[in-house]
Amino acid sequence: MQGPLRGGTGPGLSPVDRRTLLICTFILAVAWGQMNFTGDQVLRILAKDEKQLSLLRDLEGLKPQKVDFWRGPARPSLPVDMRVPFSELRDVKAYLKSHGLAYSVMIKDIQVLLDEERDAMARSRRLERSTSSFSYSSYHTLEEIYSWIDNFVAEHSNLVSKINIGNSFENRSILVLKFSTGGSNRKAIWIDTGIHSREWITHATGIWISNKIVSAYGKDHLLKKILNAMDIFIEIVTNPDGFAFTHSMNRLWRKNKSSQPGIACIGVDLNRNWKTGFGGNGSNRNPCSETYRGPAPQSEPEVAAIVEFITGHGNFKALISIHSYSQMVMYPYGYSLEPVPNYEELFNLAKDTVKALHKVHGIQYTFGSISATLYAASGITVDWAYDSGIKYAFSFELRDTGQYGFLLPASQIVPTAQETWMAIRTIMKHTLNHPY
Amino acid sequence: MQPRRPLPPTPLLWLLLSLALPAAAVAPWDRERTDVPARPPAAGLPRGILQLAARAALHFFNFRASSPSALRVLAAVQEGRAWVDPQEGCEVNLVFSTERYNPEEEGEESLGKCSARVFFKNQKPRPAINVTCMGLTEKIKRQERDNLLYKQVKQLKNPLNVISIPDSHGHIDPSLRPLWDLAFLGSSYVMWEKTTQFLNYYLVQISRVKQLKTNDDGIDFDFTVLLHEFSTQEIIPCQIHLFWYPGKPLKVQYHCQELQSPEEASGIDEASAMAPTELSNF
Repeated sequence: MQGPLRGGTGPGLSPVDRRTLLICTFILAVAWGQMNFTGDQVLRILAKDEKQLSLLRDLEGLKPQKVDFWRGPARPSLPVDMRVPFSELRDVKAYLKSHGLAYSVMIKDIQVLLDEERDAMARSRRLERSTSSFSYSSYHTLEEIYSWIDNFVAEHSNLVSKINIGNSFENRSILVLKFSTGGSNRKAIWIDTGIHSREWITHATGIWISNKIVSAYGKDHLLKKILNAMDIFIEIVTNPDGFAFTHSMNRLWRKNKSSQPGIACIGVDLNRNWKTGFGGNGSNRNPCSETYRGPAPQSEPEVAAIVEFITGHGNFKALISIHSYSQMVMYPYGYSLEPVPNYEELFNLAKDTVKALHKVHGIQYTFGSISATLYAASGITVDWAYDSGIKYAFSFELRDTGQYGFLLPASQIVPTAQETWMAIRTIMKHTLNHPY
Repeated sequence: MQPRRPLPPTPLLWLLLSLALPAAAVAPWDRERTDVPARPPAAGLPRGILQLAARAALHFFNFRASSPSALRVLAAVQEGRAWVDPQEGCEVNLVFSTERYNPEEEGEESLGKCSARVFFKNQKPRPAINVTCMGLTEKIKRQERDNLLYKQVKQLKNPLNVISIPDSHGHIDPSLRPLWDLAFLGSSYVMWEKTTQFLNYYLVQISRVKQLKTNDDGIDFDFTVLLHEFSTQEIIPCQIHLFWYPGKPLKVQYHCQELQSPEEASGIDEASAMAPTELSNF
């Protein structure tokens, strides 16, 4: 293809316009599979005087298609930008050197730029087409999230699938996303968000992270390593009935919506209904309480579904249960002050996790065991997970520390998700590197 | 609903515990402090007692300052010591940094520093507090901002067509921000009075505005807030009626809904209408 814009000293397109037009042309050409600009460079030369300027003009005249001026030789002290095809680079650079023309490399490889731009365009096209303007920086309803899940799985079916692990008390589907590159019953990592329905930032974070996994898979070497060896399971709406209720009636609803005959108050705290430590001081037997443990361990279908799934799978190595708010990363136990056997390892891992999180936006998290850091809590997810053999069991409390609390503004969704992702990544890396 | 009790030690002797707790004990970037103590905190001393005491001190400070445009929130606890004496109560001495609740200009962080003594008598609420703070906004600027806030509230059209502040998505309309600050100020009084060594509070939302009257002698504001109670996780509706004029001490009375017992429960999770009872400090 001819260089469409031959050098000129006159007015006409500004360098920016010229470059834009050039790139658009290149992109079209690339799209038609006609041109490859791998290795082509853009050099910037500062001509000291008229003599040097004329040497540059000679270059253009020397071999008509040797160089392509993006910013033509005009006056001394004005930079001259020229694109040099890869095949001509050696000759052109030698020419410049021999005539004492100093140059610098502005663009090392044009093809790379073009590829990036093409990818970006393709990405935004895909987004518009399939997720029908799903915004990762807004809060969504249950219907919107379930619809996003279907689109998401369809778009990334090579990596993601949807599993129905049971039904809630009001008969809603309980859905889990599985991220896998193959294998059979690989070691696995579990992440759940939204077990307390009012903690909206957690669902939003789960959604963003799901998207991050598929988009970063090709570029993040660590993530690739992790997914080559392990599967990731994410349950975004762990309490669908409660979540629907936060939209319809009561934004601050925490529990599920189960009811028992003869008892006026409804709802069980799903994070007090697990077997380990059930019934202790860190939960309440009053059904009207926000930390009501339920009539019996695992009595709640939302909890039973997870227990069945994880136990049936048998190969989970890490579990992260995500809550808000307080800005904490914690490990078991919640029901007792007694330290777990690998307490030191979890302490150090939590410390690294919090450090990685802090690096993203400077947000400070505290860490420690649940009972020592937050309060006594009995019958919680991570205690059960740990006692079931999952050595790396963590509970997160996301932003903030009380200014907005559960009503965290949507503008904080993406920053929160970004830092949480780096925290989760740290735990996944440790799990990968410490097989058991 | 019982207040949360600490995990009990052996049932006999309670010792007079003097415990120097490294502040921000688990912040890994804090060079001078040791990290999490090798053993868990001494029995009888609630987790997070330093943070709790700092927040209580700030609620009290904010209430006493009576300036809705100069509210302070906790940044970090820097030093602290806590004692528990089963006969007397729980005393906390601490130093902490604060930041402005509503920073206006970019970069106007204005970290303040406070030292406080907080004393909980026998697990009762309404701790006795001595608190002094430095590095705060100068009085003149504060008065200017309070006057501006007063004007802004005066300009709000009545009846207000607003249900919740913030809304479900955490959004507060800028025109309603002054109301939120006033509500936070009034709630500070309530939260101070309700805080015990085991229970502390966060303001979640203004769930209802009953009445807002602004005339020349001040703002008369009657509203309901929802408080989030830690560690029970309960949401407590409190009706608050406050009266404020720039530069004058805040007057406030309130009534918080008692928690339901299984017998009383109506099964519907709505805040019921409440009549304000005894005067608090009107």
